Amino acid sequence: MTAAFELTAFGVCASIAVAGALGMTTTMSMFRSGIFLMASFIGVAGLFILLSADLIGLLQVMMYIGGFLVMILFMVLVMHDPGGAMMAGMDMAPLERWSSLGLVPRQPSEAGQDGHRQGEAGDQATATGHGGHAEPDEPRQGSEAHGEQAPAHDGAANAMPHEAHGGHGEHAARQHGHASHEHEHGGGHGGMDMGEMDMSMVTPVRPLAAWLALGVGIVLVGMLVLRPAWSVSDALPDPDSARRVGHLLMDKYMVAFEGAGFLILIGVFGAVLLARPSAYPDDASRGARVAVDAKPEPIRGDRLAPQAGADRTAGHASGHDTHHQHGGDAG
Amino acid sequence: MIASAAAVVTALLLGAGLTWAVERLFARSGWDAGPTRGAELRGGLDLPNADRWLLPAGPVVALAGVALATVVVPFGPGLIGRDLGIGLFYVIVVVDFVVLGLALAGWGANTPDSVEAFYRIVAQLVAYVVPLGLAYVGVVMMARSLSTVTVVEAQRDLWFVVLQPLGFLLYLVTGLMQSYRAPFLEPFADSIGGGVLGVTGGWSALLWRVALAGVLFVVAAIGAVLYLGGPSGSWLPGWAWMLAKTYALMALMLGLGRCVRPLSTAGMLALSWKVLIPAGLVNVLLVGGLILLGVGPRA
Repeated sequence: MTAAFELTAFGVCASIAVAGALGMTTTMSMFRSGIFLMASFIGVAGLFILLSADLIGLLQVMMYIGGFLVMILFMVLVMHDPGGAMMAGMDMAPLERWSSLGLVPRQPSEAGQDGHRQGEAGDQATATGHGGHAEPDEPRQGSEAHGEQAPAHDGAANAMPHEAHGGHGEHAARQHGHASHEHEHGGGHGGMDMGEMDMSMVTPVRPLAAWLALGVGIVLVGMLVLRPAWSVSDALPDPDSARRVGHLLMDKYMVAFEGAGFLILIGVFGAVLLARPSAYPDDASRGARVAVDAKPEPIRGDRLAPQAGADRTAGHASGHDTHHQHGGDAG
Repeated sequence: MIASAAAVVTALLLGAGLTWAVERLFARSGWDAGPTRGAELRGGLDLPNADRWLLPAGPVVALAGVALATVVVPFGPGLIGRDLGIGLFYVIVVVDFVVLGLALAGWGANTPDSVEAFYRIVAQLVAYVVPLGLAYVGVVMMARSLSTVTVVEAQRDLWFVVLQPLGFLLYLVTGLMQSYRAPFLEPFADSIGGGVLGVTGGWSALLWRVALAGVLFVVAAIGAVLYLGGPSGSWLPGWAWMLAKTYALMALMLGLGRCVRPLSTAGMLALSWKVLIPAGLVNVLLVGGLILLGVGPRA
């Protein structure tokens, strides 16, 4: 391996690692955030491989691909806007715009016309400023205090997906527009459209965190550069590092290794205990399609009272009927 | 280096093309085609809500993973891209990029079916990754190496399929899971419109076809290396043996897979944790006993 190749490979891997970390913190899509972090760790794995620690590098790739995909799955399950379509139409800093390139904000007209169908990916039904135009004279009741801007916006953002689920796209748009006006008023951006909202208001501590990280990075790199003497060794790295790692794990660090394995085993037992089939009669819900915003099939004989009030499928005759039919079965 | 890279890519393309042909033999009308379902190759689809970066990144990442895996497959004596010291582990790792690519495209297409496919893909990864590793471990214990060439040499006298039939069965099942073939084609099922394949068109459909055929090819080739002695054999040249074993194993896997009813993702997870992982652990124990008894290749 020539020195030029090594240098190029180092540059590529290091820039993947740094760019991935930057993208992770600046993109609007949480899914992309996870993918960027994965790319960052894969860049670090490339650095490991350059240092002849190929086993560690590949372990890193394997752990982070599998682990991060599962992590992203859980994130998608609990987040309102994991795809970033809600925020993609907003005004962003150049870096944020770069790492959110290609994200498509959901068009509000679609959400309004065909609300129920669009609600299938409901939490991404978004309103990119049309709401703001539609109701320009919305009374501004936003708080004047700076400290309360972020909570107010968060509350509106949380409320919105639920509305969008119900197929009332226009209503959601209006809500969001209202939220944006509140926000503008508080933030002193009066007269601006929602499309130009300053995204840094969403996470007000981020500039501080960015400067802190930059400072720490500069200090660390400075300490590395200014270190008085680098000891240079002629020893070549062991090409068969897998064997060495295996011997270390089974010899010197055996107790720690087996202990960690034992802990994981107990974790598996715990998971099995929680998921044992008698606790939750979930066989009927196995067939439910997770991505579709339809009401899941009610579980037969679950002894739960039928949901009170008008739920979101109540307007649709078919959904209504099946709901009551199953309720009758249960009773 | 460039020559060997070109040779590897050629081998992958030829292998994927032949795999496609073999798969056609096992297609019946009325069966769920899974990853071999027809995709529109001529025109692209217009997906208004797609993530314009992640969607095209998917097939590229997947194909890169398959091409990287082909590097360590020994197609004959000396016919290998690179004999890595940790070749088998490397294969397990880089084939994961196919899962990553499918996840990127599934999420990026942003239709209900493709996002559902993304969920199923990740669940399937969780189902197969541990038993797959256990299917490799028995061979690695006997060959005392992770290098594909050393594993082939260790089977000069006796193929590992004779010594470890349980491991071979485990590899067949997990290999089908890893390549999304029946009965484990839930992420590409017709009920969700083919998942990721239902939302591709044009060049990305072509790349998906190569990548998904290539993943079956790589799985079968590695299976031939692990359990059937790879390119070793008399009378015929090594590459002919390797290809014959690869395609025979592929036909065996596809044919056996069509004898069973397709499993849901939950069924796959249940199978994995209740049957495959215990079987893999038993296989490791048996192989350890055989090694202690002195059966197997001499060091």
